[in-house]
Amino acid sequence: MIPIEAVIGFGLIIFTIGLAGVLVRKNLVIMLMSLELLLNGVNIILAGLGRHLNSPRGSIFALFVIINAVSEAAVGFALVLAYFRHRKSYDTDSLNELKG
Amino acid sequence: MITLAVFILFAVLAVVAALLVVIQKNAMHSVLYLAFTVLATAGVFFALQAEYLGAIQILVYGGGIVVLYIFVIIIVNLKEIVPERRGLVPKLFLVGVPVLLCAEVVTLVMRTGFPSAPSGSEGPGFREMAEMLFASYLLPFEAASILLLAVLIGAIVVARRRHIDDPD
Repeated sequence: MIPIEAVIGFGLIIFTIGLAGVLVRKNLVIMLMSLELLLNGVNIILAGLGRHLNSPRGSIFALFVIINAVSEAAVGFALVLAYFRHRKSYDTDSLNELKG
Repeated sequence: MITLAVFILFAVLAVVAALLVVIQKNAMHSVLYLAFTVLATAGVFFALQAEYLGAIQILVYGGGIVVLYIFVIIIVNLKEIVPERRGLVPKLFLVGVPVLLCAEVVTLVMRTGFPSAPSGSEGPGFREMAEMLFASYLLPFEAASILLLAVLIGAIVVARRRHIDDPD
């Protein structure tokens, strides 16, 4: 039997690594990958809680999270491609046109 | 006991691979470590008796999203590495904030008494899950299909070449 605290801790560690990646990295593609890590951490916690409470709701919620992750990846890649065609770079430092 | 060992093995593998995703300089190496993380997470799902979720994870993430990442990196040709122009202090700050957040939530989890698990050791089955998904959660399920359609159209419109090249 897996203790629920271990599962939540593991999911939180993955979430933390993803959050740090989104904040620290400047490469757009690696930032998108870190976003996937964030969603993966949430999925682990949902699956663990579903197992702990013996309910299928955890898996169902995680399924919806995966659907959202796929949507986010598709739109994110479209934006990265459009930005790359426009600028020939993926450095987030040059994304400052809307800055006041 | 053996389930716990499998869980710990895959959890350690996933954490190490996730760290490498963030640390790697080369985006292609990051994608390969992301694939590793995703597969290790699928192993964790199997250990948690969420077999459906593990299968979906391998199919959708391992087969779909990771391949999509590889194609995008090939298309945009990420050879020239983006320089990480950030000092040590801002970097430490940006790492410290998520770590503090994590420590806070871990403290909360430790202080929370989770209700002990119901005695059933089987775990929820496929039939139960399918019935709940197509009865109680039918509306979100259909909304998700509309979301996917919107994403399909939106991605095509955003990534269209003419739209980008024409100033007007």
